[in-house]
Amino acid sequence: MPPLIAVQNIVKNYRRMRALNDVSFEIQPGITGLLGPNGAGKSTLIKVLMGLVRVSSGSGTVLGNRLGKQGRLIRSKIGYMPEDDCYIPGLKGVEAVQFSACLAGIPATEALRRSHEILDFCGMKQERYREIETYSTGMRQKIKFAAAIVHDPELLIFDEPTAALDPEERDNLLNRIQILCRDAGKSVLISTHILPDVQTICDHALILASGQVRLNESLEVLNRPTAPTITVKLARQETAFTEDLQRLGLQVQQDHDFRHLKVSGDRENLSQLVWKTAQQNGVSIHALSPAKNSLEEIFMSAVEEANVADS
Amino acid sequence: MPIHKVGYRGWEGQKIPVSRRWWIISRTGIRVVLRSRWVRRLMFICFFPVLYWGLAVFVLEQYMAQPDLQENLSKTTEQMRQIQQLDLGNRRDNRRFRRNLPPEVRRLQRYQENLAMLPKSDIVIDALQSPGADTRHIVWSWLLMTFFRYPQSIMLLFLVGFIAPGLISRDVRSRAFLLYFSRPIGRFEYILGKLVVPAMFIAFITCLPALVLYVFGVMLSTEWSIIGMTWDIPFRILAATLILILPTASIALMLSSLTQESRFATFAWFALWIMGHGAWLAIVLSQAVSFREPPFSEQVMNSPLVENWSLISLYNNLGDVQSWVFGFDQFSDIWPSFMILSFLTLVALLVLFRQVSAPTRI
Repeated sequence: MPPLIAVQNIVKNYRRMRALNDVSFEIQPGITGLLGPNGAGKSTLIKVLMGLVRVSSGSGTVLGNRLGKQGRLIRSKIGYMPEDDCYIPGLKGVEAVQFSACLAGIPATEALRRSHEILDFCGMKQERYREIETYSTGMRQKIKFAAAIVHDPELLIFDEPTAALDPEERDNLLNRIQILCRDAGKSVLISTHILPDVQTICDHALILASGQVRLNESLEVLNRPTAPTITVKLARQETAFTEDLQRLGLQVQQDHDFRHLKVSGDRENLSQLVWKTAQQNGVSIHALSPAKNSLEEIFMSAVEEANVADS
Repeated sequence: MPIHKVGYRGWEGQKIPVSRRWWIISRTGIRVVLRSRWVRRLMFICFFPVLYWGLAVFVLEQYMAQPDLQENLSKTTEQMRQIQQLDLGNRRDNRRFRRNLPPEVRRLQRYQENLAMLPKSDIVIDALQSPGADTRHIVWSWLLMTFFRYPQSIMLLFLVGFIAPGLISRDVRSRAFLLYFSRPIGRFEYILGKLVVPAMFIAFITCLPALVLYVFGVMLSTEWSIIGMTWDIPFRILAATLILILPTASIALMLSSLTQESRFATFAWFALWIMGHGAWLAIVLSQAVSFREPPFSEQVMNSPLVENWSLISLYNNLGDVQSWVFGFDQFSDIWPSFMILSFLTLVALLVLFRQVSAPTRI
């Protein structure tokens, strides 16, 4: 399958500051999380991918179209939801979405019909007839989301889509993104600081720090620990059980309440060993499951690597 | 698929070409501007002068149709000229004679003096005194020129001052640039779309009523041959409208793009017009004082100081170029005004292009 986005050795300078430094990566269809600390170059990378800013050097393709040469063609296939609290003043919600659809080339009447359809999908009710200036930030996020998908683009780029949303709306938005990917076959690139969002819906993660790609891997691979690891949930603190596991040569990490353990060791029958030890100690295990690497740990270590390299 | 399914559905259809998408920006801009009650009121007021100029066209047709009126005007003008040129030997007697003229004659004198203050009125008076085949062309052109220059240019100043300052500054403030430019449109389409908004309103209060006046005149004349003699006037109207639109819309949008606060752009817009024209008026008054003549008398207006400094007023520059468009001046007379307007338009567009790209560059 050809990559959705492929860039090679991209450099972008703003006068003396280097925002992107020799960036190369490929993104496959699916949902990709673009992670990075503030100032990592995420927004610049998005603008480069949309053909809004010219790269100082390097090349690439987005949806098979060349960067820098076919910016308009790329933008016609992309739906972009900016991070900023931006809106087109003087318009009502439904008019704003219709306007976006028209700018993307949909005829006016059809754009209005389509806007209502998309606003229904986004869970927007009668408030769609109010002027955008009167909307809360969360409602504006919905309008931006609707405006990004109204023209049925192949690739969706969301910049901090869940920022300023309450937990319920955040879940709804993530669900909608998953529906778009799963049912409509859209590919999504999400730039976010909220790691649980990435953990919940993304297939891939691309970590950018100091203008460089630090990691580009599928979440399945990232989550897989280097050694077999399981998490164990106990009914209460069990010191003897923990000590027995350590005596067997296993590494045991305890949570702050001593009820959640992370047991790792290069053993094939690790879970059987844990069950057996628990039985011997008369310990009641509430849950036992394969452990995952925390995305936060991965992110922090990638950023630290970048900081070390910079210094 | 259920009828009421609210899930996501794809869209397939014929898209409108990219070359026509600037009109979407214009159409939306016009719709938003028209929501303002003040703009609608102002546009209504802008149509009042048409009635006055329409009356002038009607009077002209009555005059052209009645030879005795023509004879009377010719005689009266001649008599007025004789009265004006009458010299009783000394200044005091001359003054006393003029003071004791009958009220009707003094009223006529005042009309004549007021008419003389309007540009190129001597050409019109000459054409009316000896009516010929080109009289209608001259008088209509002059009426349209004054229509553009006096009521509509001033109305335009207020209308554009209401409309244009918010067109880009509000987009800057609400960070709407990313919403526009994440679509397959570029700076050119955006600026063209925005420029067309004030342009449409300007055309609506200048070009449309002027064309209506022309058609009104043609219909009143009852001679179809008049169309052949005045065929160029509609084109002159279009050219005059374009000359009003290009500099004013570009400058107003440039000011709008320089700030996030539309009130600052409004202030700058009015300041630009008032300062230039105000400075020129001050020069006119100073010359009137030194010549001991009324401010807009021929002697004052023809003084080199007033003529040369007329270029600092945008309003005068527009008027001069329109005088050329309607055939009352040669290009050699108005080229400095033309160059100033062209230069200002170019600078305004360059600044506009730079300002509009700025938010997406960083």
